[in-house]
Amino acid sequence: MDPPPAPTATPTPSSSTPTPSSSSARTPSLPQLPILSSSSRQTHPFTTPTKRIHTGADLTHFLTSLAYRDICTFILQLNRALCPRKLPSTPTTTTTTTATPGATSTSQLPPPPVSSTLNTNPRIKSQSQTHVQSFPLDAPRPADPLAVIRLREILAQVEGLIDLAPPEAGPRRFGNVAFRRWYGLLEERVAGGLLRTCLVPVDGKGGKVGEDGSEEGGGGGDEWLETAAEELKVYFLGGFGSAQRLDYGTGHELSFLAFLGGLWKLGVFSQPGRGQEEDGEVERAVVLGVFEPYLRVVRRLILTYNLEPAGSHGVWGLDDHSFLPYIFGSAQLTRPITDSEPMPLEGSAPGAPKPADVAKPASVDLHRESNMYFSAIGFINDVKKGPFWEHSPILYDISGIKDGWGKINKGMIKMFNAEVLAKFPVVQHFPFGSLFSWDVDPDAQAPVLSMHLTATATAGSTAGTSSSGPGSAASSAAGLPTPMPTGPGIPYSRAPWAGAGSSGPTPPRGGVPDTGPPPPTAFPRGVPGRASNQFSVTKAPWAKD
Amino acid sequence: MSDLDRAIAQLRACRPIPEAEVRQLCHKARELLIEEGNVVTVNAPVTICGDIHGQFHDLMELFRVGGDVPDTNYLFMGDFVDRGFYSLESFLLLLCLKVRYPDRMTLIRGNHESRQITTVYGFYDECLRKYGSANVWRYCCDVFDYLALGAIVLGASNTLPSSSGQPAASPPADEVEIEVHNAHGHVISRFLRPKETKGDGTGGARTASPNGGLSNGVSSDSSSGSGSGSASSSAPANTGPPGSGASGSSGGSVGNPAGAVLCVHGGLSPLIDMVDKIRLLDRKQEVPHEGAMCDLLWSDPDEIDGWGLSPRGAGFLFGADIVKVFNHRNDLSLIARAHQLVMEGFKEMFDASIVTVWSAPNYCYRCGNVAALLELSEDESGLGVLARSNGEVNRSDGGVGPRGVLMENDLMGARSGPARRYRVFQAAPQDSRGMPAKKPVADYFL
Repeated sequence: MDPPPAPTATPTPSSSTPTPSSSSARTPSLPQLPILSSSSRQTHPFTTPTKRIHTGADLTHFLTSLAYRDICTFILQLNRALCPRKLPSTPTTTTTTTATPGATSTSQLPPPPVSSTLNTNPRIKSQSQTHVQSFPLDAPRPADPLAVIRLREILAQVEGLIDLAPPEAGPRRFGNVAFRRWYGLLEERVAGGLLRTCLVPVDGKGGKVGEDGSEEGGGGGDEWLETAAEELKVYFLGGFGSAQRLDYGTGHELSFLAFLGGLWKLGVFSQPGRGQEEDGEVERAVVLGVFEPYLRVVRRLILTYNLEPAGSHGVWGLDDHSFLPYIFGSAQLTRPITDSEPMPLEGSAPGAPKPADVAKPASVDLHRESNMYFSAIGFINDVKKGPFWEHSPILYDISGIKDGWGKINKGMIKMFNAEVLAKFPVVQHFPFGSLFSWDVDPDAQAPVLSMHLTATATAGSTAGTSSSGPGSAASSAAGLPTPMPTGPGIPYSRAPWAGAGSSGPTPPRGGVPDTGPPPPTAFPRGVPGRASNQFSVTKAPWAKD
Repeated sequence: MSDLDRAIAQLRACRPIPEAEVRQLCHKARELLIEEGNVVTVNAPVTICGDIHGQFHDLMELFRVGGDVPDTNYLFMGDFVDRGFYSLESFLLLLCLKVRYPDRMTLIRGNHESRQITTVYGFYDECLRKYGSANVWRYCCDVFDYLALGAIVLGASNTLPSSSGQPAASPPADEVEIEVHNAHGHVISRFLRPKETKGDGTGGARTASPNGGLSNGVSSDSSSGSGSGSASSSAPANTGPPGSGASGSSGGSVGNPAGAVLCVHGGLSPLIDMVDKIRLLDRKQEVPHEGAMCDLLWSDPDEIDGWGLSPRGAGFLFGADIVKVFNHRNDLSLIARAHQLVMEGFKEMFDASIVTVWSAPNYCYRCGNVAALLELSEDESGLGVLARSNGEVNRSDGGVGPRGVLMENDLMGARSGPARRYRVFQAAPQDSRGMPAKKPVADYFL
């Protein structure tokens, strides 16, 4: 029943990436986002990230880039950390130290004290004796790393800016132009050093959480902090929607995730001397302690300023604005694993709500405070009026899955790859710098050319548009073969979904008729006109901005 | 034709018809549409509707509020598909009605009636999901290419006919320019026609606008929010209390035919200064990314001077001056268009020279807006006789007919706006909709 071990054990992150510090304790099959060593940080060539994806061909490049690999690695790392754990018969969960090196979160930990019973592991005596620890939103966590606490403080400040930019009354159009003022305030605060505090814990200068909370501050040799902050702020600012278009979507969500991934690479979440973390403990702090609070801020922004979905398939998209909570939330409910097992591909945690419960408002209300999936659905229910199966048919159909949350989790990850990372309109705005690098991942396989890619690449190479062929839309809902082949499992070996098979370019299904739109000319479209009231939605997919 | 009637009945029940029938239907519709000019001539009375976006149950509500086909003559200004759950059923029903009652149903093209847009905004996904293949999507897109780009409404009256919802103490019918009704036919606000000052090219156009073009500074909440409808209004108009009252006035027998009304999905184009230039376009193609045809389907009016770039990335923004010059040059009294969500269902701008009509209530299940339709009544003074010719006479006349009528109007100086009756309605109740079985999920989850 157990899923096969990771199909291929690949080497630790390639040499072209920032040198991982003393990460000797890694299990190769469960890669982690490498952390810059303190020495390499000093000399690391931080840069201001820039947009690179202009055409369909660029999108193909992106899918073989180091940035793509790192994004995938980080998401899978976070995802697995949220999966419930089998515990040995002693139910004293808080003191359990797992010695399985697989997924410990910080690389600078001293080797954990060996606990031979666990270390030799994996066979837990019998299922009946196995205790399970799951990781709901509302359960107490071990003390968060200081950076996590700081990030929450930053998010609280960000949310507080809403009070300084109340929505404008007057003729009601959809997106509220006061969002531009809010965003302007955000930019001001970031320029004024808002993000500085979350970088302080680097190098362990932040002191330990729970002691005094004060940091010893900069010290010498911290010039790199400035340039690192400059690089990271682009991802941070990209995580709160578009002030020009008054919208928010999965591209913005991805940007914030990259911000957290960048912080991870800088090592801000690792605190030497903090003591041992359990497997995945820091990752969980990042998701439950930062990412979920981030989503709550975003939801308030959406409600306050009526932010539109950024690029919407209408009811035929998974969700108007978000994707990652469906990944992380389903992981929270998946069948428990040991610290050495990969993410299950099916099954649910004991006592988990049923997938079908998402269509029941009362059940959603019951679980939305503890689970990210239900939290996201709860927000949909807050915002939309009408039958759930009608306004959210994709989620409704997924709620009929019989093989448990593990199956849903696996599907969500594949769907995220195809519908977010491989979608030109979504990732075209993602900027690349030193932490998320445009350089080719030497270990990357040629991406499976999905129909989307072929269609986009064709359009893009001829015209530089963001047009997408029918294939792009097909995959979201239609129940047709998706670009991603279904392998035996999610390969942990590398950017997981990049090369999981090689069916080669797929001929466009359905086909774009030959009478398709002519390529656009150089007319400078997409420049905002008078901003006052033009946000009632449909934008030209070929618009450049 | 019984097959067609059966298809209509099935679609009215919100059940898709088989692929083979769709193919047949689309074929017939194409044969019909190919005979229409780029600008269809439509005679009042007509009920003008804006975006539908696959909100089938709300379309049924629209028919309930506005009257059923073929009793009511309808003109839909595009955007039948995308975003909603029932684009397929909505479009196919409208198309069936078009084929069944060609003279009672006019469909013009919106920017969503396009291959590229439907692949991004949902209709393509929907067809794949409901049929398992893209064939139906392709049939529909082939029909899209034949839809007219606009319509000219002729013979609209300056006065409103009586309606059952009229209060007893209503003003004389010939003084009412705008009436707003709720979904139950009750008048919720009424705006009188200002005394006209002759000689001005846009004479009499300084009308009170019921929901607030910024330019005339008049606004009212009366049509927003609930259909129960308060009658409060700051407009210089006599607003009767809501409620049903006496009827049977002889309204509608006085007045002149108003100037023509141009209906188009988006708006104007810098490449089009005369309606006749629309007639010269080769419309039977995918909506281009730019050019006149694109602009007609994508542009938006805005509070600017002249032309501006559109934040949509297609079409343009155009200001009041553009509209006034265009209307004057083309002897139009009004442009009716859709394309933009308006919370109140309709919005008149630029001294009532252009109106946005939006017919998708609670858009995307979450916008909380009401929807509206616009009724233009038939002039019965006898002066609009040319405009009342029946059948297909004016359908593809290359513009001769409309010019004749417009010249007549011009000479009479009767270019003040037609009397407008807006009916505002909310989203259909959801209790009548059955929950479907869960369908197989996408391959990601297999």
